[in-house]
Formats: sequence, C-alpha cells, structure tokens
Amino acid sequence: MSSANLGNSLQVVGERSPSIWAPITSLSALSENSFLVRNLVRREVRGRYRNTILGYAWTVIEPTLLSVVYWFLFIMLAGNPDEYYAVWVLIGVIVWACFGKSLMASVTSLSGNTQMIHLVFFPRIIFPTTAVLANIVITAMSSLVIIPIILAYGFPFGIHLILVPIAIFLSGFMGMGLGIMFAPLNCIQKDVEHLFKFIVRAGFFVSPIMWTYEMAMERGVYGEMVLWNPMVAPITIARHGIMGKWPDLPVEWIVYSVLVTVGFWIIGNIVFDKFEREAVKHL
Amino acid sequence: MNETVISIEDVGLKFPKRRGLKDLFFGLFRNNKVHHQALKEINLSISKGEIVGVIGTNGCGKSTLLRVISGIYPPDSGTCKVRGNISLLAGLGTGFSAHQTGRENAILYGSILGYSEQKIIDKLPEIIDFSELGHFIDEPIRTYSAGMKARLGLAVASAIQPELLLIDEVLGVGDPAFRKKSTDRILEMVKQAGTVVIVSHSFGMMAEVCGRLILLDKGRIIAEGDPKDVIAAYHENSKKSKA
Repeated sequence: MSSANLGNSLQVVGERSPSIWAPITSLSALSENSFLVRNLVRREVRGRYRNTILGYAWTVIEPTLLSVVYWFLFIMLAGNPDEYYAVWVLIGVIVWACFGKSLMASVTSLSGNTQMIHLVFFPRIIFPTTAVLANIVITAMSSLVIIPIILAYGFPFGIHLILVPIAIFLSGFMGMGLGIMFAPLNCIQKDVEHLFKFIVRAGFFVSPIMWTYEMAMERGVYGEMVLWNPMVAPITIARHGIMGKWPDLPVEWIVYSVLVTVGFWIIGNIVFDKFEREAVKHL
Repeated sequence: MNETVISIEDVGLKFPKRRGLKDLFFGLFRNNKVHHQALKEINLSISKGEIVGVIGTNGCGKSTLLRVISGIYPPDSGTCKVRGNISLLAGLGTGFSAHQTGRENAILYGSILGYSEQKIIDKLPEIIDFSELGHFIDEPIRTYSAGMKARLGLAVASAIQPELLLIDEVLGVGDPAFRKKSTDRILEMVKQAGTVVIVSHSFGMMAEVCGRLILLDKGRIIAEGDPKDVIAAYHENSKKSKA
C-alpha cells in the first residue's frame, strides 16, 4: 500500500517535498512506518547468526578473538603495553565494527535490496535505517562482554557506563550518514562499494583501535592530528566509561564528533533523497 | 461511477543502460544513446470500478507501468495521478526471512505491504487458515517448499481490501488444488477492490474478467478496448514482429 494517498482527490504519485527537507521527512516517514522498521530490524538481527550452534554468542566471540590476535601482535611489535591494553583493543574493535558495518550496510542499502525495491514501495530511507539499527542492536549485545571484564579488573560499576551505548549510537549513525550519501551512487557503479570496503580497512589503523588516545597524545603534534578523525571520540569515551570516569578528552573534540555525525546524517539524507529515485532505475 | 481513479498523462520513462569505463569516457565526447525507453507517451485514464488488463510480449513495459502507478519509479515526463490507497501484488513473499517462522513472516510481509500492526493481528487467524499450512506455520520458512511460501504470501497479500489493486502475474500459485483456490481468491479480491489493473499472460482469464484490455509494445500503447479485439491485435502484432 503506497503511503498516504487517502485523499479524495487525484494525487500525483511520488510527489514529495524538496530534498532540503529530507531529514525531517525521513524522520516522519520512520515514525509513520515504525511497525515496519521494527519488523525489518528483527529480521536482520535474527538472520545474522542463522544456522550457528553458538548463535548470538558470536557477537561476543568474534570481537574477543580479534582482540586476542591484536593483543599478541602488539606485544610482539611494541613490547609491553599497559595492563588493560587487551580491554582497550576489545572496545575499539567493537565500536569500530559498529561504524564499519553500519557504513557498509548503508552504502549497499539500495543495491542490496533490489528485489524489494522492485516489488514494493515504501520510503527508501527505511532500508539504511533498519540496517543500522540492527547493527546497533547487535553491537549492544556484543558489548555485554564488558560486564565480566569490569568484574575481572575491578572497575567501578556506575552511571559512567552510559557512555558505552552513546558511543555505539554515535558510531552507528556516523557510518549511516556517510554511507547514505553514497548509496545512490553505488546503484550506478558498484566501484563505490569496493572503495568503501578499503576505507573501512584502512580506517581501522588510523582510528584508535590498536592504540589509544592517551598513546597518541604522548607523540606530540602527530597525536593532535589524529583528533580530526571523528571516530576518536566515540571509541575513547567508551573506554573511559568502562574505566568508570567521565572522558578527559577535551570536550570540543566530543562536540566535534557529534557535529560530524549529525552533519553527515543531515547531508546524507538530503543527498539520498535527491538521487535515490533516479538511482534505483539502475538496479 | 465515472470518477477517474488513475490518470496517466503523457508518461515516459527511461532506463539508463549500464556503461563500462570505456563507454563512460567516450560518452563525454559523443552523444551516445545511453537510455532505454521503457515507457513512451502513455495516456491512460481508469475509472472507479473498472478492471483493466495489460498485455504484451516480455519486456514491453507492463510491469514497469504498474511500478510507475505504485510509485516505485517516478516518471521522467508526464504525470501519474491516483486516488485512494494502492496495493501492488507482485512477487508474493518479497522480503520473507528464511529463518523466522511462518507466523513471524506473515507479520513481516504484512508490514512490508503496509498493513498496520492492529490490522495484521486482526487478520492473522484468517491468513493462517487460508494458507492451509497447519503446524508448519510455526516452523522456520526455510523448511517450506516453494508452493508453501507462495501460499503464505498470497494469504497475506490477499487479506487486504485496497481501493486500487495492481496485480502483476501472481495468479495461479501452488499445487493444482491450491491454484484453483488462489485464483478464486484473487478474483474475489478483484471483485471487492474498487479498481483493478492486471498484468498477465493468461488471456482466457483476462478476457473473462477484464472490461478493457491494453496492448503494450515497446513501451507504447498500441491497442486499447474490448478484450477480444485487443487479444486479436496482440496475435497479429506478434506475427508481424516475427516476420
């Protein structure tokens, strides 16, 4: 059933407000279709670890194993890091994966749903949004691994842990905002997808995953350059939250990261809305 | 009863042709023909209560026309206007999730088709009953046969009574016994819906049900009117293009 053609007069099919209003219209489209959004998110989450014995445990196992590998690698390369290093890597891996997966899911949100786009009509911003929300849910599940860590290392339990979900949210929506800017282009040329795969891999090293904000600061001017990477803030605040403190990252860098996320999301929505209609003809 | 519910004026739709790097580069210098004209100068007006059939060879733009009416593709030129809520029946079971149960998928598919939560909950017993899936309804859909999936899809899709029903080749799914039931069900929907546009290759059924047929060829309407005449025009046209 197509959107709201319930009026008594003839209505032009597919008529929409100008793309500049897209951030607002997509929010209202999402709330109007919240039942659909819920069902699609559930489908995505359920489908992720299908046919596995360990099921959702993989959400925890995957980042944990990765961290072990990086921990060994780091000890070999750099000698003895601080005692919590493995924990910091684990948090970095989890938050970065949320960003990377949300970014890729958004870039491929149109090209990967060809069948559905051809056969049913609903506001297409729903595709990337549900993919990202599903990622956030899965990341939230994998971040449960921090509970045994907190107990083992004797970090304080407290309100500071709120920083972890905030970081996950921030990284998920940063990925979405950037991804949807390029989703229409990816319908036309799949090269975009491959480029972004590379960006996610390379970004891994220039983001504080195997290193921390504190390590970067010891390097002087290079360390400060690093702060321009908007992923520094989400990963760092999650780490500080687990340590049980408010982030001692300068507040302007946190604000910067939030502004980048919101800015990406707004621009992404406008671009997505403007080009999505023509782009789906390429599918 | 002569109220217009679908009004298509001079609609044209182009599909871009896929280009490689070489074409892209040379395209900068030459004005290549890089589009495929899927629909051209379509003028169509459908009144409330009409049942209109669209026929034509494969690739002539039948499905594309329905997609334009349902809003999937915005036309490149002209306007398409509709009155009332539209439902497009195409590819039954689009978006099914293999790892969820039949019941969960019925809810999922219903929401994809645009039902409200309350409506699906109300219709669920009826859907399950019609699909004849028995205890399979609580099994994951990956254990279903193609026919069972189609049955569930049809059961969900036909649970609504839209004002404007667009049907794209979904008649006759499942085994022979169910095929009869599904055709009856769709015909029943057709009768209940205010207005219907059907795309199909079953001319016998079309001649029986539709009040008017439209023949598309290469994106243009080349014949329109009484079903018998239009079907005759179709055969004549396909003979001509073969020769």
